[in-house]
Parts: sequence; structure tokens; C-alpha cells
Amino acid sequence: MSSQENNHQDDSSDNTTDTTTHFGYQTVAKDDKVSMVAGVFDSVAAQYDVMNDLMSFGIHRLWKRFTIDASGVRPGNIVLDLAGGTGDLTAKFSQLVGREGQVILADINSSMLNVGRDKLRDRGLVQNIEYVQANAQYLPFEDNTFDIVTIAFGLRNVTDKDMALRSIYRVLKPGGRLLVLEFSKPEYELINKAYDFYSFNILPKIGKIVAKDGDSYQYLAESIRMHPDQETLKTMMDNAGFEQTSYKNLTAGVVALHKGYKF
Amino acid sequence: MLQQVMCSALETIVNKAVSLNIHPNDQLNALDQKTLAVKLTELGFPLCFSINDGSILVTKLIARADCTITSSINTLQTLKKEQQLTELIKQDRLDVEGDIKVAQHFTSLVETLDIDWKTELAKHIGDVATHKIVQLSKTVKNKLVFVSKQIQADSGEYLLHEKRLVVTSRQLDHFNQGVLAVDLQTKQVENRLHQLVERFHINSKG
Repeated sequence: MSSQENNHQDDSSDNTTDTTTHFGYQTVAKDDKVSMVAGVFDSVAAQYDVMNDLMSFGIHRLWKRFTIDASGVRPGNIVLDLAGGTGDLTAKFSQLVGREGQVILADINSSMLNVGRDKLRDRGLVQNIEYVQANAQYLPFEDNTFDIVTIAFGLRNVTDKDMALRSIYRVLKPGGRLLVLEFSKPEYELINKAYDFYSFNILPKIGKIVAKDGDSYQYLAESIRMHPDQETLKTMMDNAGFEQTSYKNLTAGVVALHKGYKF
Repeated sequence: MLQQVMCSALETIVNKAVSLNIHPNDQLNALDQKTLAVKLTELGFPLCFSINDGSILVTKLIARADCTITSSINTLQTLKKEQQLTELIKQDRLDVEGDIKVAQHFTSLVETLDIDWKTELAKHIGDVATHKIVQLSKTVKNKLVFVSKQIQADSGEYLLHEKRLVVTSRQLDHFNQGVLAVDLQTKQVENRLHQLVERFHINSKG
């Protein structure tokens, strides 16, 4: 299983063309990927938080907390939580930017956005949050708008990642920073193998039982393997114009937090 | 990631404690949108407490702090009254940078924390069960106090008893004198026996 996946990883930059891209291990037309990813998240939106806790044993909360700590957010900042899903990062940012600041929770998927909006409103977080349905490749914001842009567990689902990074760069203010929290390549082979076994044998079964959708979680596992590794993503950020790019491996590289500035 | 675990746990505990406070949390309103950073010498990272609409966030974002306290855990344990803050600063056991009022409000907040554990427990398990548990805990506490006192008394007695077994020089002298007296008496009895034996021989020959 792992060698097969490694081949897919190796091929990740090779077997896409101007008109095709990956959807997990499948190669699909670029125009189709958006609707296919939307199908996955429409299916899992209601159980998304429960599944996140189950799949990561709750560690996703610590990864997100690490992202907040690394963001350097201040009162009055304007933050874009891209692919913000059910609003975990938005909730924290909303409290940290204060009344003078603002957080935009953006997601391409309306189902996820609705779940996020309901959750945050139920928690009384309404003052400084706005909700926007947006494609990361074509961000509907003016240039130099945001102090911070975060995209947590969302970049791998974007059809054209380079285009999305350029779009994010455009909307960041000079001095602003992008934080990309995403699954990545584990640092140790033993962990890699255990992670593969878990992702392809256990995770879809949990998805089938809890979210009644094993296929979506099979896609999740495949999309993680197809996502660029730490160094590749760092280079992509450099190419998009970000400066002082760096990354920090979390949980032995299962997840990595990439950070880059616009000056 | 351990730092995030600690911040997360602390955030949960602090917010729970504040929500259970029986006194109104007026200090929280005064601290709204304020951040207090605490740098402890024992920890390698700052703990920043940000207040927003009555909830407290614990992060490492020191850049947004309105007031930064640098101290040690031991010193903070002694800080129970707002007035002590000034004393500790004078003693160089605590350093405050920024708006000292923020630190004072936080100290007052901690000072006014008072949780009615019985009421909170009753909400979950009912009044009767809570009453029983409280009674049981009182009995157990009394028993434990009694047992502890008993152990203290017994151990004191035991030590005294052991001390009595140790032979003092005076007792040794007394014992030695006794031995000498017995020795003297034995010799006297021996002489007496010799005399009696000799007399018996003389009488039998005659």
C-alpha cells in the first residue's frame, strides 16, 4: 500500500496538465474537481467536527492552537480564515482581534459555511465575523486587505494551489502573513507506515460508521498523500511571492504549519 | 505542542472557575479586551490571558499584552491580596511592565473567586446524594483526623518506650553494684558452707 502511495506522491507534480488535476488518486478535469470536492464536503459537513475529533484523537485542536500562537494576531487586525469550514480558527481569532478587528470566514462550500455560521452564532460570536462563500483561487477582496490569512486543512482541496497562493498574496497587506496548516509528509518511515495503515484501513471505516460516508474519507486519505510535501509547498509559497517562508512540523510531520510574509 | 496542551488545559480550568464564581465577575468587565501576560521563570514561554466578552483565552501571543508580569510560581502563590502586588515589586520578586491596573484587576478577580462546590455538585447528582456525600466526607475527614492524631500519639509513645530500653550509665552502675553485692553474698554463703562442712567432719571423727 505505502509503495503505491509513494508512487502517487512522486507523480503528484507530473501527471497533471493544464486541463486535468488530482482528485485523490484519480486524475480528473480541472473543471470537475470543484464540484467533486463540494460533493465530499456537502456529505460530511454535519459530522465534520465530530469526525475531526475522532480521526485526530482531538489533536487537531492543538494544531489549530499552535497556528493561532504563530499568527502574532493583535487587536484590530483583519483576518481571513480561508477554507475556514466549521470556524474553529475564526472563533479564536474573533476573540483575539477584539471589537475593532474583523474576521472573515470564507469557504467555497456553502454547507460547511452554514455549519460554521450556526456554530459560531450559537457560541455568541457575532460581533466581528463575516461569512463569505469564496473560491481561494479568485478571492473576492481588494488588494492589500488582510493582516493575516490562514488556510487550515483546505489547500489540498484547491484545484490550482499556485493560483490560490498568488490570490492570497494579492489580498494580504504589506507586512501581512499567510499561515498554511495542512497534512504533510511524516518525518520518520515507521510513523509514515503506521499513518498509511491508519489512513487507508481505519479512517474510511470510521467515516463509514460516523458520517455514513466511507468514500469521502478515502478521498481525504488519498488527497493527503497527493498534497505537496513540506519543501515543495515552501517552494510554491516562494514562487507566489512570499518572503521569509518557513515551516514547522507538528506531530512528527503528520501536519506542517507553513508561514510566509508579504513585504 | 506541550505548550499548547498547557494553554488549553489552563483555559478550560480558568473559564470553568470564573463561570462557577458565586460573586459577580465585575472585574471581567473592567478587563474586557485586555491581555495580561505572565512570564514565569520556571516556564520557557509566556502565558497570555486575554479577556473578551466574559471569556478568557490563554495563548502565547505576548505581542498583544497590555501588561506583562515577570515572576516565579512561588512568588505568585504568595500573591493573594491586591496590596501585596506593590510589596512584591518593591522586594524585586515581581516585575511589571505596562498598565499596572490590568495586573491589579486580575489580582482582584482571583481574590473574589469563590465557588460553592455543594451547589455545583447538587446540580449533577441531586440534593440528597450531595448531602450524603458531604456527610460522608465530613465523617471520613473526622476519622482521618482521629487516625492521624492516634498515629502521632502512638508513635510518640513508641519512641519514648524505645528510649526507656536504652541502658543509661547510672543504670549500668546500679546493675554492677547489684552484681558485686550478689558476688559478696555468694562468697559469704560459700564460706559458711565450708565452715559447716569442716564442723561436720570434726564431729563425725569424734
